[in-house]
Amino acid sequence: MRHNVILGLAPLLLPYCALFCAGLTLTLAQSMGLFLPLGPGEATLEYYQALTRDQGLGLSLRLSLFVAFFSAAGSVLGGTVLALALWRMPPGLRRVGVVSKIGLILPHVAVAFLVLLMLSQTGLVSSALFQLGLISTPEEFPNILHTGSGLGMILAFLLKGVPFALLLIGAVLFGFDIRLIQTARMLGAGPLRTFWSVTLPRLLPAMHSAFIILFLYAFGSFDIPFVLGESHPGMLSIRVFDIFFHRDLSQRPQAMAILTVMFVFAAVFAMLYNRFAAYMDAWRRKL
Amino acid sequence: MRHAPTMLVLAFLFLLPVLVLILQAGAPGWRYPELWPELGLDGVRFLATRPGPFLTALTGSLGYSLATVVLTLSMTILPAKALAYSSFRGKTLLEGLLLLPALVPAMTFSMGLHFIFIKIGLADTAPGVILVLSMISYPYMLRALTTGYTLMGREYEICARNLGASKWRVFLEVELPQLLPAMAAGGSVVFLVAFSEYFLVFLIGGGSVASFTGYLFPLITSSNRGLGALVTLVFLAVPIALFIVLELGLYRYHRKRRMR
Repeated sequence: MRHNVILGLAPLLLPYCALFCAGLTLTLAQSMGLFLPLGPGEATLEYYQALTRDQGLGLSLRLSLFVAFFSAAGSVLGGTVLALALWRMPPGLRRVGVVSKIGLILPHVAVAFLVLLMLSQTGLVSSALFQLGLISTPEEFPNILHTGSGLGMILAFLLKGVPFALLLIGAVLFGFDIRLIQTARMLGAGPLRTFWSVTLPRLLPAMHSAFIILFLYAFGSFDIPFVLGESHPGMLSIRVFDIFFHRDLSQRPQAMAILTVMFVFAAVFAMLYNRFAAYMDAWRRKL
Repeated sequence: MRHAPTMLVLAFLFLLPVLVLILQAGAPGWRYPELWPELGLDGVRFLATRPGPFLTALTGSLGYSLATVVLTLSMTILPAKALAYSSFRGKTLLEGLLLLPALVPAMTFSMGLHFIFIKIGLADTAPGVILVLSMISYPYMLRALTTGYTLMGREYEICARNLGASKWRVFLEVELPQLLPAMAAGGSVVFLVAFSEYFLVFLIGGGSVASFTGYLFPLITSSNRGLGALVTLVFLAVPIALFIVLELGLYRYHRKRRMR
C-alpha cells in the first residue's frame, strides 16, 4: 500500500526535487558564495551581513509589503462585494459576471499597460480633465505613477486580483444552500446578523485563500513593477533584477541572498497565516 | 433596475479597458489632450505587411503554453489520485509543500535553476521554458484533479475492475470521461499562467524562445501605443477563442456519449 502511494506520487516528486528544490538549493548556495559562475568559492555569510547594512533594501521591502498588502486586501474586499452583488441577482442575469474573466485573461504586462494608458500624466484621465477645463497642462495632473508611492502598481494588481477573488469566493457563494439563510431569517435574525453569522463564516476560507495567494504573488511579482518602472525605491523583485543583470558578477550573491530571504518570508508567511486563520476559525466557533 | 450599480461597476472595471484598447488600436496617433481619437488602420496595416515576427511570437507562445498543459497533466494525474484516495502520515505537510511553487515568488527558485539550465544546456531552449512554466503552474492542475478524483469516488473504478476491466481500460473508459471537466478547469488556468508569463520566458528562454509577451513588451514601453493595444487585443482574443472551442468540444463529447 505504502509502496503504491510513493509510486503514484513519483511523477510529481521527481520533477519537484529536480527543478524546484534544486533551483532553491542553488539560489541558497550562491547566496553563500558557492557555485558561482566565476568558480567555487568558500561558504560565507558576508552577503547576508551586507543586506542588513543596505538602507535602500529596507525601503524596497517596505514598498513590496505595502503594495502586496493593499492590493490583496483591496482585491478580496472588492471580489467579495462583487460576488455578493452578483449573488443577489436572478441566476439568468448573474451571467453578466462573465465579463470579469477579461481581467483574468489579460496578462500582467497588459494590465500595467492599461494603467499607463489611463493614468499617466498624458493619459486618458488627464486628457478628460483637460477637456473639462480642470487642468491646463499635463503637469497639473497628479503624478500617480512615478513617485514611488506604489499606487499605480496597486491599481494594476487590483484589476487582476478582483476577478480572481470573485472567482474563488463566487464558487462558494453561488453553490450556497439558500435554506440556511431562510432558516436564520425565520428564526428572527436581521439581514446584517444573518450575513455576519451565517454567510460570512462560510466565505472566510475562500477569502483567506484569495488573500494569501494574491499577497504573495504581488510581493514577489516582476512583470507589473517592471512595466510601471518605479525604481526609487523599486520593489524587491526589481532590485534583484538590477543587481543580477546590470551589475557585475561579483554582486550576484547579494541578489541571491535577497531571493533567499524572500523565499523564507513567503513560506513562513503562508504557514503562519494558515495557522492563524484556522485558530481564528476555531475561536469563533467556540463563541 | 436594482442591479444597475453592479452592472456599472463591472462595465467600468472590465469593459471600459477593452473599449480603450480598441480605440487606441484604431488610433495610433491618439495623443494628449485629445479625448476623441482620429481613427486609422496603421496598426493593422503594419501587422499585415510584416506578419513574420508577430506570427512567430504567437505560435511560440501557443506552443509552449499547450505543451505546459500536457506536461502538467501527465505530471499530476497519478499523484492526484494518490492524494485523493490514500491517507498517510505527513500528507498535509506534503500537500503544503507541493503547493509552494505557485505561492513563493517564482524568481526565488528560477534564478538558481537558470544557472543549472546553463550547465546542462537547457537555457535558451523551449524545453527549458516548458519545464520552468510547468513548475509554477502544476499546483493548479493538481488541485483541480485531486478535487475531481475526490468528487468521483472509487466506486466506479472498483466496480469496473470487478467486472474484469483492465487498469488501463478503467482509466480510459471510466475515469477519464468523469475527470474531463476537472482537466479542462485545471488546464485553462495552467494555459493562462503560461501564456501570460513574461519574466520566466525572458529569463530561461533568453530571447531565443519567441514569446507573445516578449513581443508585446517593447511595444508598450515604447511610444508605439497603438500597436501595443492591438497586440494586447489579440492577447485577449486567443484564450477566449480557445476556451470557446474547449467548451463546445466538451459539450459535444458529452452529448455523443449520452446518445450511445
